[in-house]
Amino acid sequence: MYAYDTYDHAMVNARVAEFRDQVDRRMKGELTEEEFRPLRLMNGLYLQLHAYMLRVAIPYGTLSADQMRKLAHVARRYDKGYGHFTTRQNIQYNWPKLSETPDILQELADVEMHAIQTSGNCIRNVTTDQFAGAAADEVADPRPYAELIRQWSTFHPEFSFLPRKFKIAITGAAQDRAAVKWHDIGLVLKKNETGEIGFEVLAGGGMGRTPVIAKSMRDFLPVPDMLSYLEAMLRVYNEQGRRDNKYKARIKILIDAMGIEEYTRQVNAEWEKIRHVPIDVPEKEVARIKAFFAPPPLAVSADDVAEVTELANANFIFKAWLNNNAGAHKVPGHAHVTISLKPHGGIPGDASDAQMDLVADLADAYSQGEIRVSHEQNLILPHVAKKDLPALWAKLDEAGLGTANAGLLTDIIACPGLDYCALANTRSIPIAQSITERFDDLKRLMDIGPLKIKISGCINSCGHHHAGHIGILGVDRRGDENYQLLLGGSGAEDASKAAILGPGFNEVGIVDAVEKVVAVYLGEREDEESFLNAYRRLGPDVFKEAVYGTD
Amino acid sequence: MVLINLTGIQPTGYTLLADDAQPKEGENVAVSVERLLGENSSFFNTAGGVGAIITTGTAFSDLDRIADKLAFAVIEFPAFGDGRGFSLAVRLRKDFGFKGEIRATGPVIPDQALFLLRAGFDTVEVTTKRKQAFEAALSRFPGFYQSDFGGQTSIAHARHTVEGLGVEGHRKAS
Ligand code: HEM
Ligand code: SF4
Repeated sequence: MYAYDTYDHAMVNARVAEFRDQVDRRMKGELTEEEFRPLRLMNGLYLQLHAYMLRVAIPYGTLSADQMRKLAHVARRYDKGYGHFTTRQNIQYNWPKLSETPDILQELADVEMHAIQTSGNCIRNVTTDQFAGAAADEVADPRPYAELIRQWSTFHPEFSFLPRKFKIAITGAAQDRAAVKWHDIGLVLKKNETGEIGFEVLAGGGMGRTPVIAKSMRDFLPVPDMLSYLEAMLRVYNEQGRRDNKYKARIKILIDAMGIEEYTRQVNAEWEKIRHVPIDVPEKEVARIKAFFAPPPLAVSADDVAEVTELANANFIFKAWLNNNAGAHKVPGHAHVTISLKPHGGIPGDASDAQMDLVADLADAYSQGEIRVSHEQNLILPHVAKKDLPALWAKLDEAGLGTANAGLLTDIIACPGLDYCALANTRSIPIAQSITERFDDLKRLMDIGPLKIKISGCINSCGHHHAGHIGILGVDRRGDENYQLLLGGSGAEDASKAAILGPGFNEVGIVDAVEKVVAVYLGEREDEESFLNAYRRLGPDVFKEAVYGTD
Repeated sequence: MVLINLTGIQPTGYTLLADDAQPKEGENVAVSVERLLGENSSFFNTAGGVGAIITTGTAFSDLDRIADKLAFAVIEFPAFGDGRGFSLAVRLRKDFGFKGEIRATGPVIPDQALFLLRAGFDTVEVTTKRKQAFEAALSRFPGFYQSDFGGQTSIAHARHTVEGLGVEGHRKAS
């Protein structure tokens, strides 16, 4: 993992001191709320329905056990004993007191964390594959590049007041677990014919009221050119992105208006001017950062472990967990383990202080002290020896963290919705709870197979509903909460936009509708066909018929 | 209004030239980019120093024809969040090698002081009420991750040199 040196520490400490001064001035009445607003937004502090909300960055989703303990401590000491992990690999606290936020940020700074650029029209937390550095199918670990981007984009003198928020995602594997095509910029690490590592560069993806899938603008960008190319991309956007209408201010709108060819032409022209200027980061620095992400010292061992097989044969729930929540690791004899934050009937992405503390302890005991947060709002122990899986599972299960549903229908993404969010039309969390209660049967879930449900409480799409195999969107229908059903989206390498199936439902009707859609799939699927593939083959009509009747 | 001096440059005194007026011999005048694009060399020769008043809607390519004739530039921010002003300053320094004073005007906020300096601005016009907060903001951060137009090299470089950024940070007090 990356570790701060004195420079990084000085920077976050200076930031906390600055924020403390701003909060002081606000509390004394020297700053009005209007003047304070842009300042707090630069520190991840939102004003929500009932209280302030503080969003803390978890850069590229990587956490140490000590950092996780600090997150637990903050939840206990300054909040109501829980935190909410988000689709952007951040954690949100829903109940901090304004007067205490500088203390929270100082405590976080002590463990090398911050809330810098978690809101506002700047380059946000760079997200990546939650299995980075562990996944068997990886070309290269994306995290050193994500850290380079984090540093380059932090307090950038030119790109901190963009037309709109800017999100960059990067993946090191062909199987895209970071939804890169739904980001303003997506980077996909790949090898060219000569074995050199570089990036495919995509641009202009985004959700919100105008969902757009990013377009490829460069097939192979050598690694040393990454920052200068990003600089050219951001400069063209900063200069020409619309600022007259915030709904048309994202880069996706600019690229749609000028065309990806023209955008690429302008970026390339700018890049030609700056690429030979001594790059801002010397090679030694790249090497320094890379060294932090050296693979952990895991001893290669056999993939078949007798105790694991025995327990799996004896215990169906463990077998299901092994199957769904443990994945192939680079190093034989190891697995990466997804800790589901989606207990049936629970709040997707929430974790209590005690659960966070436990995960920290388990990371120390079984996973080299490392934890990841996924954009699907789960936690990951990236480096677990297979022989430890039975013990790990027993401890997780005992703490209510053993739900064996990773990647299945009940592994639902849901935004905070009307329970917290000032922009919401509808609640999201209770819909997720109702669906998981309706499908509370592991055998049935495994029969249904991989199926991603994603719920947003309004068109801003924080719950990624456009990318859901089944998406649910909350709309306001003459003052009533109404839920639209969308089908066929994907956030993976085969990204697609979900399409609205028909008229919306009330909160009970939407759960029935989901059940009918699943029933159609089970009836129509061929062989091992996944839900998404079946939908793509069948088209919407059979689903429409089942959900709305024939007439 | 007061002027905050970010770089220690000698600030330019100038007159805002009315639309129909001509500069007096040797006078420093500030004029809109639109008008400057239509002026001939006698205009530039008469005035002592000509500054462009650059709105954030200006395309940097429009500055191409006048940049080398300018003595100073005034970039007007209509709102603090209009980040095009930062790119315009960067363009002046980077694309046109502009060495004169770049001034920021408009409702920029104290917390942007270092961003302005680092993007290439020399001075910023602020309300008297904000003077103190601006000055405090200037000394807040010892270093940044980017090399900048204020003359500071990035932390990435400092990490690999003997001197580093120094104890106080290596931005020289001006
Ligand atoms: C509760 C307070 C929140 C507020 C006020 C809020 C506000 C917004 C707004 C206004 C947008 C639309 C931006 C645009 O289209 O330009 C947006 C998009 C988004 N937000 Fe949130 N959000 C909140 C919480 C969250 C949470 C909890 C998550 C993660 C679970 C999240 C993740 C996202 C994502 C992924 C997008 C879509 C990005 C895109 O358009 O490409 N937000 N949010
Ligand atoms: S999707 Fe809408 S309701 Fe949900 S968190 Fe985002 S802004 Fe709030």
